[in-house]
Amino acid sequence: MLSGSKSTFKVRQMQPDMKERMMTQSGGNARSRDVLGLRCLPGECVLQRVAMVRKKLSSREGRGWLSGTLFCTHFRVAFVPQDGPKPPDNADPVLLGDHDVALASIEKVVVVGPNRTKLVTPSSSLKFTPEELLLYCRDMRVVCLLFDRLTPDSQVLQMTYTIAKTYQPLKPGSVLSFQNAALGSVEMKQFLSNRCREPQMNWFESALDWEQELERCGAVGWRVSGVNERFEMATSLPRFLVVPQKVLDTELKKSFAHFSEGRIPRWSWRHPRGADLLRMSSFQNNIYHEKDDIRNLELVLFGGHSSLCVVVELGEELPSPPDVQLAHSRLRGLCLGDVSSSVTVPDDKWLSTLESTHWLQYTRSCLRKASEVCCLLRSGHLTVALQEPEDRDLGALVASLVQVMCDPHCRTQMGFQGLVQKEWVTSGHRFCSRFNYHRDSDKDEAPVFLLFLDCVWQLWAQFPSRFQLTEDFLLALHDSVHLPLFSTFLANSQRERLKRTQHLGQSYTRVEGWRDQTFDPGDPCDPPLPPVWDWDLQFSKERQVAFTQPVASSGPAPALLNGNLNTNTDTLRITDTIPGSVFLLSRGSFSCPPHLPPWRSGGGGGVYRKSHRRALSSEHVPGLERLLKAWAVAEFPHSFISHSGPQGPLDPYEPLLPLLLGPCMSLWRQCYLRGAIHAQAFSHPLSAPQPHPVDRLSQEVLLLRTRLAQVSVSKDPPSPDTRRGTTGKRLIHPNLNHNANNSTFLYPGPKASANAPPRTLPPSANTPPRTLPPSANAPPRTLPPSSSSARPGAHRSAGKQHSFLFGPASPAEAQTEERTRAPHTQSKPPSAS
Amino acid sequence: MEKSGSIDSLGSKRSSSRQPSVDSLSSSSTSRSDRSAQVKAPSSESTSSEFSPERVKPKAAAKHVPRESDKQEPQLLPNETVQDLAKDVTYFCPFSGALRGTVIVTNYRLFFKCMDREPAFVLDLPLAVLSRVEKIVNASTRGDVSYGMVCKDMRNLRFAHKHIDDTLRKSIFEVLMKFAFPVSNGLQIFALQYGQVFPENGWKVYDALTEYKRQGIPNESWRITKVNDHYELCDTYPSTLAVPVNIPDEEIRRVAAFRAKGRIPVLSWIHPESQATITRCSQPMVGVNGKRSKEDEKYLQSIMDANAQSHKLFIFDARPSVNAAANKMKGGGYESEDAYQNAELVFLDIHNIHVMRESLRKLKDVVYPNIEDSHWLSNLESTHWLEHIKLIMAGALRIADKVESGKTSVVVHCSDGWDRTGQLTSLAMLMLDGYYRTVRGFEVLLEKEWLSFGHRFQTRIGHGDKNHTDADRSPVFIQFMDCVWQLTRQFPAAFEFNEYFLVTILDHLYSCLFGTFLCNSEQQRMKEEIPKKTVSLWSYVNSQVDDFTNPLYVNYSNHVLFPVVSLRHLELWVGYYIRWNPRMRPQEPVHQRYKELLAKRAELQRRVEELQREVTNRSASSSSERAGSPTRSITPVQTFI
Repeated sequence: MLSGSKSTFKVRQMQPDMKERMMTQSGGNARSRDVLGLRCLPGECVLQRVAMVRKKLSSREGRGWLSGTLFCTHFRVAFVPQDGPKPPDNADPVLLGDHDVALASIEKVVVVGPNRTKLVTPSSSLKFTPEELLLYCRDMRVVCLLFDRLTPDSQVLQMTYTIAKTYQPLKPGSVLSFQNAALGSVEMKQFLSNRCREPQMNWFESALDWEQELERCGAVGWRVSGVNERFEMATSLPRFLVVPQKVLDTELKKSFAHFSEGRIPRWSWRHPRGADLLRMSSFQNNIYHEKDDIRNLELVLFGGHSSLCVVVELGEELPSPPDVQLAHSRLRGLCLGDVSSSVTVPDDKWLSTLESTHWLQYTRSCLRKASEVCCLLRSGHLTVALQEPEDRDLGALVASLVQVMCDPHCRTQMGFQGLVQKEWVTSGHRFCSRFNYHRDSDKDEAPVFLLFLDCVWQLWAQFPSRFQLTEDFLLALHDSVHLPLFSTFLANSQRERLKRTQHLGQSYTRVEGWRDQTFDPGDPCDPPLPPVWDWDLQFSKERQVAFTQPVASSGPAPALLNGNLNTNTDTLRITDTIPGSVFLLSRGSFSCPPHLPPWRSGGGGGVYRKSHRRALSSEHVPGLERLLKAWAVAEFPHSFISHSGPQGPLDPYEPLLPLLLGPCMSLWRQCYLRGAIHAQAFSHPLSAPQPHPVDRLSQEVLLLRTRLAQVSVSKDPPSPDTRRGTTGKRLIHPNLNHNANNSTFLYPGPKASANAPPRTLPPSANTPPRTLPPSANAPPRTLPPSSSSARPGAHRSAGKQHSFLFGPASPAEAQTEERTRAPHTQSKPPSAS
Repeated sequence: MEKSGSIDSLGSKRSSSRQPSVDSLSSSSTSRSDRSAQVKAPSSESTSSEFSPERVKPKAAAKHVPRESDKQEPQLLPNETVQDLAKDVTYFCPFSGALRGTVIVTNYRLFFKCMDREPAFVLDLPLAVLSRVEKIVNASTRGDVSYGMVCKDMRNLRFAHKHIDDTLRKSIFEVLMKFAFPVSNGLQIFALQYGQVFPENGWKVYDALTEYKRQGIPNESWRITKVNDHYELCDTYPSTLAVPVNIPDEEIRRVAAFRAKGRIPVLSWIHPESQATITRCSQPMVGVNGKRSKEDEKYLQSIMDANAQSHKLFIFDARPSVNAAANKMKGGGYESEDAYQNAELVFLDIHNIHVMRESLRKLKDVVYPNIEDSHWLSNLESTHWLEHIKLIMAGALRIADKVESGKTSVVVHCSDGWDRTGQLTSLAMLMLDGYYRTVRGFEVLLEKEWLSFGHRFQTRIGHGDKNHTDADRSPVFIQFMDCVWQLTRQFPAAFEFNEYFLVTILDHLYSCLFGTFLCNSEQQRMKEEIPKKTVSLWSYVNSQVDDFTNPLYVNYSNHVLFPVVSLRHLELWVGYYIRWNPRMRPQEPVHQRYKELLAKRAELQRRVEELQREVTNRSASSSSERAGSPTRSITPVQTFI
């Protein structure tokens, strides 16, 4: 078996099987699975194979070593552990297994031989036999593989050369060949075109999507405008824009010229207390502001609030994209170390070197800015407009951070995905240039999105129980960015993205988004790219379960977001501001520069100008500054103590204001230090508790609840059938309910988690599980009718007990709640007090 | 809603210990307050926290503060008496500015209260935590007398009051100084007066013979000797020692002559399977001339022979080799590999007590009161504190690795064998033996490796002594606790105790409320009759062990912990060193949440069983008429705690 390893294995017998399976979407065929133990994608060729390889596990994976077989295909380096769990035969193809590395994410191949290390390039030839193979990945993983001594040298060398020759360091053109290797086969294309989109998240592609968001936020006074539907007004903006109701499309069209790249002020989000968040690019100063335009410009800028607008200038205090790029490359260099050039930073200089990357400093400044904006928003009844010269980087970052901090919905997985769609993907963040996938935009490269993920991680680390999504999810997203396979990241604007898909013969229908009915096999060089949110392509169900918390946040049930949540009685009275005041927030203080907005400085808008001058007397500036001060003070105990603590009343929309003190900003070790080779010198396979006990604990709580629900159902004859019915319906819908996207999104929370499969208890070698006494093992499930006479009493007592645990006064309701476990009500459901 | 959660958790906690009835659950909602009061009485705010981190001390959370503000005075402990009271004293809080209020000084504590703020501001700390009090004469604030206080627990305080014209009347801070340094003023340490009775007697936690028996000592290679019964062999060692079987007591005496302070190599821990041992001692008295001792060489040989698995012996000298060599000038030194065959000597490069003291002082400068955000990491680096922590952990890791993986016995020493040696042996034992990772096991570990083997707590901490410049003071024990904390961070489920436990121990290291950390050695404690006259810290801890329990604890008793000791994976113990900074308060009481989750699980489990029993009973009474209906299989719920 091993003797054949030098030759190339073509996956011949596999293709018809796969095709058949794609068509039928059912039926397990054992032969379709694998080539020599590797589950191949359709058309994937195994180029090399070496058995008895050991892979070093990270601390997250439990440390130690895992033995198995190493493969190199023309798409990935795969590692199949011995005795690993085999996926079911009829499972959909997963692009990368848990231990696999895509060739495109490999940045560097290093081999370690006796007493030496060497960087391997496609042309290099080795004068020694490697004992260890290190794959440095662009997502900051370092995969460490150890060859067995008994493996013939030739095999080891062949494998090394093969990887070195086939891995694809990013260069112009290599991305496309990689995409073709992964997705180019006919079966894969067909498979991808049959995928349906995640129906539970808002994709922000259609007008309806935006209207849903308006409705979800309870934003009134706004409408969705299709003025940019053909990207005629601004190429980088989404097709649909949310603008004030009062402005007609014809009037709106005139305002595009007044903003850089036509990125006019657009609505992003409404705080439940009624403040609106807008994004815009810088004003075009060199344009003549006609009198007629000015009214519209003012309307667009002020949105629903005639009184007060604060323009938050993002350019000054935040890092510029080149800053971000420099900091990130320094951070990479520091965290990855480098075996080949042995320039690893010594341990005793670690802290100061980390500081000198400025990465943490930039994270802090972004969080600080977002906190300021949150504090402005929670005062209610004003418009906060984030202004960035281009409005395509930090505008997206701050706007989305603000929403993560303020809106519990954005802290769920689906909500977060929608948020990224809204502020980054459709709003024209230049993913493709910023990540420089094609290596053609070196000077534009800047991982602003990764900075955003780090900021979210900081929030998560400080408020873990307020998030439904988990670190695993953030990591998955972080790593996916480095895989040039996803339409989400491979375009600079929605326009580019749509051009590409339409070119592929997919039809775009206005309301429902993509619906590609016809598969066009006639274009072999351009595979359809899936969105990153199709996690099934990358991760097994078991891995995806870890994307969300099993028991989500303990916050109270969300109040209806209708924009007039009137909870804050001590809000500063800033609403009686003279209509039309515009302030600039910069460096923590408010000012009223005469050129803001530029049309006010010149002639024209006389009326506004007069009232504006009066407002300039800065009588309201202190009021605004107090808002920010309130935040600074909130870090102190005396104002803080009253509403913190485990029993403090929690306003769900009270922003998560992070602590920003030096020691509070921590390094995302699980992400950046995954590859620190030297860190685990003395690791021990059994030492790390795995999985995390909190996970197991919450799994058990869930399991118990389910069982409790089951038991109480079986106590109550009429309910079992109906219950089962509803469950069945719910379970069906993620795959089949294609249109659910538009109709069911209004109640995103419960839906989002209703389908979460119950977590399976992972095998734990570490702890001998103690089981319940055997008497509890298999009790009969059904209640015979003859005992119905005894039921009322029992029912009442059960109901009473339920009221303690679940809130609703009957077991049936309790069960419903269990099934629809909303992210905010799970762990502590309302008690019937 | 939040409230219901906590009631629920408390309720079920009760129900698990008492009768599990619904009645008791509902009644417990009202009993929350008295429970906390109950707990409070013994604890007596001894953590002295101005702002204690919520995570580790949920009791001090907001809800209690308003209640306390009703009272003007602190809750006094048994035999605590108010010595002086002064109004209109200003406390300069570095975080919230100057506060005006009342100061009360008792023979145990300093209590400051400011009613102007809402909620009221309270500062309550044991006087013993003060390391230095000095009157600050400042020309600019004429008429005011101000006092600066340096505390042992990483903070400084500053008070001021109006100048008192009456020369006869002493300032309250003069009174304070008298009681803060009782040893220097001929007074008794408060622990000797404190008469609280706890349900458990903590002095019984550790019994040397029981602990050796747990390890399987005596066995065919090791015996218990009474040679030090009256502390004649070594006055800093415990009376009970475990030594190799084939070394008679007379030879032991000759070995003692060759080891500094008579601290011969004795057994600390033995591997239950391989019989590899950790032994500890002080440096050999080699001197400049390279003196040798046949008995000492034989002694180490028999330590090696006691372990059949290996024909080697590792001698870990905790010091840097330069320091070890320098000790030869003073008659000390290290084992030469020529004299000790098959022994390998390793230097662990851990610096001495003076370096550590200086490092902690720098750390305090960096974290208190203000943190410079922009240079935080490089400032932290310049203290070298984490580097020292790393070296200690790395040393302990090497010891644990040699014993566990190499199955080789090790001998650990530094100069005197009571500072660095204790750090290394106890950390290695913590990594190797799951018993020490339980609450009681950890108490035993401290009693054994630190207290009985003569870590000089009195000297290193300076209880009640006003001589704050004493060069013998050093944060050796704090470093050890920091290392333990690092371990708990890397293995969150491997320890039965939580962070609050560690902080509590450190607080009472200084508080002088309990007798545990008084004196320098077992001999002194016996002489002073400390166990008779004082209360043990473990009495208090074990009487409310719930507060100190890690809800995530999984009993990995057979597992050896090998932590990552790279500086990349070590963190500053923010919850201890920076806990006074209100901006560092943890955002979420995660710990509390875990507890609630556990309680919820227990409750649900109970109810599932209950309902299942009910269903079983009912279906048993009527035969299966609906046998055809789908049955869902129920898997037994796995429990792991």
